[in-house]
Amino acid sequence: MRPTIIRTASGVLTLAALVTVAGCADRGATVEDAADYPSKDVTLIVPYQAGGASDLAARTLANQMEQHLGTNIIVENRTGGAGSVGLQHLAEAHADGYTIGYLPVETVMLGFQGYDIDPANYDLIGQMVSVPATIAVPADSPYQTLDDLLKAAEEAPGTITVSNSGAGSIWEATTTALGEATGTEFKPVPFDGGAPAVTAAIGGEVDAVIAGISETAPAHAEGQLRVLAVFDEEPSPSLEGVPTAIEEGVDLTMGGWGGIGAPAGLPEEIKQTLEEAFTAAASSEEFTKVITDSGNIPVNVPADEFASFVESEAQNFKALLSDQD
Amino acid sequence: MSPLVAGFSSLLDPTVLSCIALGAVLGMLVGAFPGITATMAVALASGFTLTLDPLPGLAVLLTIYVSSNFGDRVPAILVNTPGTPASIATTFDGYAMAQQGKAGLALTSSAFASAVGTFAGLLLLMFAAIPLSRLALQFGPAEMFALVVFGLTMMIGVSGGRVVKGLMAGAFGLLLGAVGRDPITGDLRFTFGLVELSDGVPFIAAIIGLFGIAEVFDQIITHRSGSSAAPITQFGKWFPTRADWRTMLKPLAVGSGVGGVVGVVPATGGDIAGILAWDQARRVSAHPEKFGKGSLEGLTAADTASNATLGGSTTTSLALGIPGDSVMAVMIGSMIVWGIQPGPSLFTRNPELVYSIAGIMIVATLLALGLSLLRMRSVAKLLDLPRHFLWTIILIFCMVGTYAVNNSIFDVGVMLLFGLVGLFMRRFSIPAGPVVLGLLLGKLAESNLRRALEIGGVSNILTSPIAVAILAVSLLALVLPALRAMRQRRRTTPATPVAE
Repeated sequence: MRPTIIRTASGVLTLAALVTVAGCADRGATVEDAADYPSKDVTLIVPYQAGGASDLAARTLANQMEQHLGTNIIVENRTGGAGSVGLQHLAEAHADGYTIGYLPVETVMLGFQGYDIDPANYDLIGQMVSVPATIAVPADSPYQTLDDLLKAAEEAPGTITVSNSGAGSIWEATTTALGEATGTEFKPVPFDGGAPAVTAAIGGEVDAVIAGISETAPAHAEGQLRVLAVFDEEPSPSLEGVPTAIEEGVDLTMGGWGGIGAPAGLPEEIKQTLEEAFTAAASSEEFTKVITDSGNIPVNVPADEFASFVESEAQNFKALLSDQD
Repeated sequence: MSPLVAGFSSLLDPTVLSCIALGAVLGMLVGAFPGITATMAVALASGFTLTLDPLPGLAVLLTIYVSSNFGDRVPAILVNTPGTPASIATTFDGYAMAQQGKAGLALTSSAFASAVGTFAGLLLLMFAAIPLSRLALQFGPAEMFALVVFGLTMMIGVSGGRVVKGLMAGAFGLLLGAVGRDPITGDLRFTFGLVELSDGVPFIAAIIGLFGIAEVFDQIITHRSGSSAAPITQFGKWFPTRADWRTMLKPLAVGSGVGGVVGVVPATGGDIAGILAWDQARRVSAHPEKFGKGSLEGLTAADTASNATLGGSTTTSLALGIPGDSVMAVMIGSMIVWGIQPGPSLFTRNPELVYSIAGIMIVATLLALGLSLLRMRSVAKLLDLPRHFLWTIILIFCMVGTYAVNNSIFDVGVMLLFGLVGLFMRRFSIPAGPVVLGLLLGKLAESNLRRALEIGGVSNILTSPIAVAILAVSLLALVLPALRAMRQRRRTTPATPVAE
C-alpha cells in the first residue's frame, strides 16, 4: 500500500507546486501592487562577488533602505562576465520594484566591449558611491609629480608601464584617457584585480599604477607608494597634500561609481517610493561612515541627476572605448 | 615579549571566545559543504561582523578561515569531493585510503597534519613576518610565471605513472584554461557566445564534477545489486601508530616548508600548495610508487601544506596590506572599515593585534582539531546508508553548493558535464589531476608571462635571479627523473620487461 500513498502524495505535491509556480509566474505590476508596495521581500542584485567594494556599498545601503521600506532586502550576488551576467539578469527581471540592482560604472562600459549591456534598460534610482581614480608611483620612483611622469612619457611614448586591475577595467580606460588628454601614451599592464596591480607598483615591477582611491590611499599612508594625483574635482581628505589632476594642469576627472537601478518600465509610484528610501539611506550616518571608512566617497545623487550623469558617462566611454579597436 | 602577552590575554574575553566557538562550527560546516568556499563564507559573514568590535569580529572571520580548512578534508576523503579547492590534493591519497578501509586513519591523520601545518604557518607570522613580507614583494609577474611553470612540471607526478595519458589530460586542462577573456587585450576566446564563460571555465564547478560527480557516476554504472563490497564503511583503525607518525615526519616538514612559502606569495593559496607539496613529498619519499594509491605520506604532505599557507598569507596581508589569498582580500576590507590599517607599520604601531590574530588562529586550530576528532565517528553512520541514498545526497549537496558559488544554474550544468568528462576519463584510466593542474595553473602561467613580456620583454624574466633559479629547478625536475629512469632501464635491459 505504501508506494501508492507515496505516489498519491507526490502527485498532490507536484500539482500544488505547479499551481504556485503558475501563480507567481505572471505577476506583472498592477495598480493594486503599486499601492501596497512593498508587500514582500525585495531582491537586490549585485553583479560582483560578496566581500568586494561594490558588495559592501550595496549591502550597507540595503540595510538602511530596509528600514525605510519596511521590508527585507535580500542581496543576491550574480557574478560572471565582468558583471554582465548580473546586469543582464536585472534588465530581464519584472519591473515591479521587487528586483533592484547595483549599477557600477561598467554599466556604461560593457556595451562597447562586446557585451549585451545597455544603460537604457534600467530605471535609475540614485547614485551612492564614487571612487575617483588615482595615479601612484613606487616610493623610490624618480617621478615626484604628475608632470615628471608625463614628461617621461613624452620622451618615450608607450614605454612607461602603468598597472591596472584588469583588461577592460575603468582603470585601464583611465590610463588610455590620460594618454589622450595629454598627447602622450602609456603602456597599460592589466593584472588580475586591484590589489595585485597596486602590489606590482609597491614592488617596483611597473612605473606607476592607476587604481581607485581606496586601493592606493592606504599604501600612500604607509609610505609604500606616492600618489601623484587624484582624478576628481576636489582633493580628497584621505590623501592630504595630493593635488587633483586639474590642479596639475590635466583636465581629466574619471573613476568608478555605483548606484541603484531597476529594470526599465518601473511604475511611477513604486519608483518614487524607492527613490525616497534611497535618499534617506544614502544620507544616513551609518552608510556614510562605512563608505568613508572603506576609503571611498559616499554621495547622494538623486535619480534625474544620476540619469544625466550616466548619459554623459556613456558618451565619454563611447568615444574612448570605440576608437581603441 | 609584553605585546605577545597582551595580545594573547585580550583573547580571554568571553565574547571573543564564544565568537571563536561560533566561527569554528560555521567553518567546519562550510568547509564540508562542497562548493561553498572559505572565501564565500568569510565574505558573507563579514556583512554581520562589521557591526561587532574588531576583535570579536576578527575572531569569527579568522576561525571560519581556519576551520573550513579542516572541514573540507572530510568529503575529500570520504566521497572524493574536495570541500573547497584547498583539499584537491587530499583526494589523491585520502580517497584511496578510504577505499582501502583506512578512512578512519585518513581522517585523523589529515586533521593532525592540518593542525601541524597551521601552527608552522603561524610561527612564520609571529616571528618572521617582516623579512618574509620583503620576499613576497620580490614576486612580480616574471617570478610568478617561473613559479607556475614549476607547478606545471608536476603534471607528470600527478599522472600516477601514466605519463602519456597524464600529459594529454594536462593539455586538455591548459586548453580549458585558455577559455575566457584574454588577460591583456580583454578579447573573448573560446566562449562560444556564452557570456557565462567570459570569466573562464568555472573552477569550482569543474573540480566538483571531475572528482565527486565522476565518482558517483562511476559507482552508479559499476554497481551490481547484491554486491556488498563497501569497504569504505569499515573505518579501520583511527589513530596513527608510532610507526605511522614516523613516516609522517618527512611529509610534515616538506608540507610546512612548501605551504609557508606558497602562502607568503601573494594571491596563491592552499590548492596550489597542496598539489606542490604532494609532489615534492613524492620526490623525497622512500615509497614514491605508493603516492596516489593511498599513501599516508602523500595525504600528510598535502594537508600540512594547504594549511601552512594560512599563516603565510596572513603574514603577507598584515605586513604588506596585500591580500595573501582570496579570503584575506575580504578580511582586509573588513579590517580597513574597522580602522585597522594592515601594512608594515602595523607591527610597530599595534604589535598586540598581530599576536591577538595569531592567538585567535591557534585557539581556532585546536578547536577545529578537537571537532575533527570528535565528529568523525558520526560521519561513519552517514556512509552506512544504502548506496543509492548516499549517491542522491552527494549529488544534491554538490548541485546546491555549486549553484551557490555564483547563483548560477549554468555552473551546475558545467559541473554535470565535467562529471561525464571525469567518468569517461576514469573508464579509460586517464588521471584527472593534470586537468585540474592545467586549468588552475595554465591561466596563471599565461597571464603572468604576458604581463612580464609587456613590462620588459624577455629580458625581464632572464634578469630576475629568482625567476631564473626557479626555471632551472623546473628543468631539472623534468630532466632528472627521465635520466634516472633511462639509466635504470639500461642497467636492467637484459632482464625481461617488468610485468605490470
